Amino acid sequence: MQRYLLQRLASLLLTLVGVSIAIFFMIRLLPGNIIDLEFFGDPNATPALKHRAAEQIGLVGSYPTQYFHWVGGLLRGDLGRSLLSQQPVSIAVGQAIPITAELIVLGVLFALAVAIPLGMISAVMRDRPADYVARFTGLIGISIPNFWLATLLLILTSRVFHWVPSLTYVRLTHHPIANIEQFFMPAIAMSVFTLALVMRMLRTTMLEVMKLDYVRTARAKGLSRRSVLVRHVLRNALIPVATVVGYEIGYLISSAVVVEAIFDLPGLGSTLLNALNLRDYPTIEAIVMIITAVFLVVNTVVDILYGILDPRISLTT
Amino acid sequence: MSDKPIEVSPATREISRRDLLVKAGMVGAGGIAAGALTGPAGAVARVARNSAKTIPTGGTITWALNQDPGEIAPFGGVLSATQWGNEMMYDSLLQWDHKLNLRTALATYEVISPTEIHWTIVPGRKFSNGQPVTAADLQYSFQLQSTDPAPGSISALGQFPSIDVANSGPISTYKYRMALSRPDARVFGYLAWTRYSGIVPNGMYESLNPSVSGIGTGPFMLSGDYQPGVGINYVKNPYFWQPGLPYLDGINYEIITQDSTAIAALISGDLDGATVSNANALTLVGHPGLTVLHNLTAAFRELQMTIKAGDTKPWWDLRVRQAVSLAINRTNIIDNVYAGYGQLTGHVAAGYGPWPLTTAELATYETQDVAKAKSLMSAAGYGSGFSVTMTTFSTPSDFPAMAQLIASDLSAIGIDVSIVPQPSATFAAANGNGSFDWDLTARGMRGDVDGYVAEFNPADAVYDIWFSGFKNTEMWRLVGDGRIQLNETKRLPIYHDLDSLLMTQLLEVPIVSVESFQVVSDKLKNMYVSFTGSNPGLRYVYLES
Repeated sequence: MQRYLLQRLASLLLTLVGVSIAIFFMIRLLPGNIIDLEFFGDPNATPALKHRAAEQIGLVGSYPTQYFHWVGGLLRGDLGRSLLSQQPVSIAVGQAIPITAELIVLGVLFALAVAIPLGMISAVMRDRPADYVARFTGLIGISIPNFWLATLLLILTSRVFHWVPSLTYVRLTHHPIANIEQFFMPAIAMSVFTLALVMRMLRTTMLEVMKLDYVRTARAKGLSRRSVLVRHVLRNALIPVATVVGYEIGYLISSAVVVEAIFDLPGLGSTLLNALNLRDYPTIEAIVMIITAVFLVVNTVVDILYGILDPRISLTT
Repeated sequence: MSDKPIEVSPATREISRRDLLVKAGMVGAGGIAAGALTGPAGAVARVARNSAKTIPTGGTITWALNQDPGEIAPFGGVLSATQWGNEMMYDSLLQWDHKLNLRTALATYEVISPTEIHWTIVPGRKFSNGQPVTAADLQYSFQLQSTDPAPGSISALGQFPSIDVANSGPISTYKYRMALSRPDARVFGYLAWTRYSGIVPNGMYESLNPSVSGIGTGPFMLSGDYQPGVGINYVKNPYFWQPGLPYLDGINYEIITQDSTAIAALISGDLDGATVSNANALTLVGHPGLTVLHNLTAAFRELQMTIKAGDTKPWWDLRVRQAVSLAINRTNIIDNVYAGYGQLTGHVAAGYGPWPLTTAELATYETQDVAKAKSLMSAAGYGSGFSVTMTTFSTPSDFPAMAQLIASDLSAIGIDVSIVPQPSATFAAANGNGSFDWDLTARGMRGDVDGYVAEFNPADAVYDIWFSGFKNTEMWRLVGDGRIQLNETKRLPIYHDLDSLLMTQLLEVPIVSVESFQVVSDKLKNMYVSFTGSNPGLRYVYLES
């Protein structure tokens, strides 16, 4: 187990190094930077003036030099400064992380809270009307783009109820109810795909597990139907679901980019989108590194959980 | 120079469902998106005419900014959004009214000589901390404007006119001597453009973080720091110098980047106003509780071409450039891309005070004439046409749409246009280094009329980058004369002649001037869509109970 963990840690670090190189060079290979945007339309923009402006914000030196300077900062916990505001990126990112984290946690909780019962009902009532309804719902959930659903929800509540979630971010610690009100619709919009995926996977897995010998044995022992379903079928059927949820975290982070923009939430997604438009390299790099790290850590944890949930799986290799 | 307050009831253009139907009839079926007309009819908008009644005071409004300012420092600001974020807080020495007439804001002036101007601060002008504005504050502010310290960018230095800060300075506590390194007519417009020339108290940059905080003389002052990505809250400045203003107790800016979100919040009543796209604004005409405002803006569209030394392209021939301009159906663009809300423009933005050519004059140059265009192409030896790449912005969507119509028009005279939509940073990079053939772009507000023709001045850097293969001494003379002529009466014909000359030379082909739209709550009165692209109207708005 210890060796496995060390291997995973080493692989995680290597991946982070790879991503840091990729993101650093890829965004610089895009034509145009913040200096071009700042000087756009200025008839007096000489190359010398542009160079001075680049010097002023630290955009000078060869790419390798800039890369090592940036990585050196990262190792010291310094994410750099925004090219636009010259403020430490850590401030913007620090404000955005709790928002995106809350959105993802709520999205996952909502998806699981709906998908697990729905998947169970669908499996237990196979080929009956309830199953058809659940499967159709799942199909819709997988097909609907989250930006469309988010916009639709917003328009619907605005036109029908004359209500939209608060335009100003409300902290969970400051006003929990208002905070949940604000995050409810974005969480739904973001989680529908995950919800549908989990529901369909759970249904399929449960149907497979229900045919296995140990389930028949459990029934033969005289255990109640509920007990068999929950303790023997569902528990085992949830193992692959755990893996899917781990990977879905990555999907939810990418969904957050759009959903945060639509619901006016100043999370990592909308910060990243704004930074991309402005070619604010340090902010883009910091957010991509954070998202990568979260994705890798979550999946490492999922792999470990997998072994705990299913003792047949060894974590030694 | 008048010291009286700006008039409080600016002419604003509201649009009603009836207006829209008339406009739709003019442009034909489909000119306005089907389904655009929502809500019951009859909610005809009313122009706020408040001169004779008592204006209610108090209340706080929520206004949407469709881009995060990133920072709100007064100097070196390069994004429009930076100005949106700080314009309620800072004033310049002068200000524009809604018709772009210059008015006194903080100081009156006296031109002593072509290179010396004396400024006298009007008694009672104070910063929001209660401290009076002094000549020392002016000197400090000009020093910062001429160096643009971080967090701004020195990219704004190109806007700084010939103020010789080192040789300028206080004459007394409230009197300031401004020296110019050369006669420069741009100085007055610059000093009315708060985007670059705000006045701050001496030592402000050393005492606070100007990225998120600030002290100015504007009608509102910050309530807490600006939170990037979140918003900005302003409250009434008790020391504001215009009597009775502001009417509101506060303005909360929310950063709402999506039109759909802003519209939902406007409908629900959570938002009092927002700038939205032309197409989206029109969907709200007649909606109960909302008023759609529109006005011409400085951001006219134009086709830029490069004529570089050592290169040979078909449009080096004047007849080809003239053919391009004559082949374009501008009315079609206005009707189909901008739903009828636009007009012809020259090189100086239509609506920019007294400076642009009149619509009648423009029509003589810009009315579509395909037969003449074909004959010019043949005379130039390009009767069988040529191929060219035209880059434009990928968003907003009016640019690719306009590009399609232009390409279609030009195909009639044999020009095969490949359209390449690009993100703004990519577009800006190629535009700045001149590595483009044709750019379909937009202009914007300029502090002075010179800003619209500065690229034709061989002394400016961009001339060498774009037009190094072009020579026209008459054009050069007019551009130079206009910049140094301080007398406006003598200056006006210079720019008239220059724009007329440019309309025949067509180094750049003006396309159309377009209108911008804002949607506001019915209870918000006195707002107008500013030609400048920012929101000075918010200084004068009030809430009707």
